[in-house]
Amino acid sequence: MEEDEFFGEKTFQRFCAEFIKHSRQIGDGWEWRTSKDCSEGYMCKTYFQIKPGTVVSHLGTSAHVQTCLPTEEALELPLDDFEVTETTTGSEVIKYEYHVLYSCSYQVPVLYFRASFLDGRPLALKDIWEGIHECYKTQMLQEPWDTITQQEHPILGQPFFVLHPCKTNEFMTPVLKNSQKINRSINYITSWLSVVGPVVGLNLPLSYARTASQDE
Amino acid sequence: MDVVPKKPNPPYGPKDVQLEDLEGQRKNFSFPVAFDIEHSGGSVGNGLEEGQIGGPKPGHYPIGLLFDLLASSSALPWNITVHFKSFPEKDLLHCPSKDAIEAHFMSCVKEADALKHKSQVINEMQKKDHKQLWMGLQNDRFDQFWAINRKLMEYPAEENGFRFIPFRIYQTTTERPFIQKLFRPVAADGQLHTLGDLLKEVCPSAVAPEDGEKKNQVMIHGIEPMLETPLQWLSEHLSYPDNFLHISIIPQPTD
Repeated sequence: MEEDEFFGEKTFQRFCAEFIKHSRQIGDGWEWRTSKDCSEGYMCKTYFQIKPGTVVSHLGTSAHVQTCLPTEEALELPLDDFEVTETTTGSEVIKYEYHVLYSCSYQVPVLYFRASFLDGRPLALKDIWEGIHECYKTQMLQEPWDTITQQEHPILGQPFFVLHPCKTNEFMTPVLKNSQKINRSINYITSWLSVVGPVVGLNLPLSYARTASQDE
Repeated sequence: MDVVPKKPNPPYGPKDVQLEDLEGQRKNFSFPVAFDIEHSGGSVGNGLEEGQIGGPKPGHYPIGLLFDLLASSSALPWNITVHFKSFPEKDLLHCPSKDAIEAHFMSCVKEADALKHKSQVINEMQKKDHKQLWMGLQNDRFDQFWAINRKLMEYPAEENGFRFIPFRIYQTTTERPFIQKLFRPVAADGQLHTLGDLLKEVCPSAVAPEDGEKKNQVMIHGIEPMLETPLQWLSEHLSYPDNFLHISIIPQPTD
């Protein structure tokens, strides 16, 4: 309703538009989507990754194992990840989705993400973390639930993991102050996403930064 | 599961509403399982009808909210079917642990405070205060909970209320899970905004036109507050433990 803060929804949409413009130039896959009633929009990107020999935490006894040991004991086999991976899983294609929405409560952008197999089975947070860079893992593992929670997507209603936005202002304020000091405008979305993205496996090509600093 | 909400007359003054009872009964989250709701209808007088309403419903919603939204016109006790297998992973939030529930609850409380106080009150609290809030809720300890929660319900003397009101409006007829927007409790001229003002602004289809027929019920905690009730008062007194006003808009029952 009221935008007395620096980062209102219109500002959010403007930065997203600039971001997507560059994304189209380099084929980075970001798109803009609007809600059915068109009152709000968000950015989204989907990509697929092949994970060879995936160890999946919720894989139960597989069909292959059952045919090998056609006895009742097969059902009581303890889950042996290594064995299952070797013989049955092979390569799996995983679909990653990232959505950037605006939070009117915190007046900052928020990153929603989820990952699933092609048949729709979602990945547990634990499995997604395996794709995260080592340097972020320590902090995540110590207080995982403080930073990432599972929430309903405010527009789609489906469960997504969310990087909690309560600390966003903390790390973005120095960035904004500095850009004012050196009199160079920045794209808030580019700067913010370059910080939070890698934490959950989303990387931004450097060309975004060059573009952002050119748009005066 | 027997759910027996108390239904006092629409409140205006605090003495009309037995808040402790309301909170005691309806605040519990329906964690940790998901359930498809098959309910026995019967409000129309056509005998009992059974069927599923919509799809599986989120177990992280407070059970009182689910009742208002889905079953408020059903006969009590409210029969629900709880499924332990085939969890609909794609549609519902999983609930792997108590820590996850606590984190979800606290993130709602923090978001509410971001709206009410720019997060100042919640950030000034120590971790043990956050813990006390959660433990008070878990253990049904009204005093323990409110010792901390009352700080979240305060506002500076020079203001007439919170900065923005934390609310979510739910309707079963929309794809969007809820409506949540920025809305101030006090107008520019100092007048207190009412529940009716809120609905007109963010959900106009819910409010009947001046001379029109009432098509919907606007429910909080199983009661229909008068639309003239100040929103600030509702936020202070009828919020759920997560500090949000969870408002259900349901079709007017046709009996």
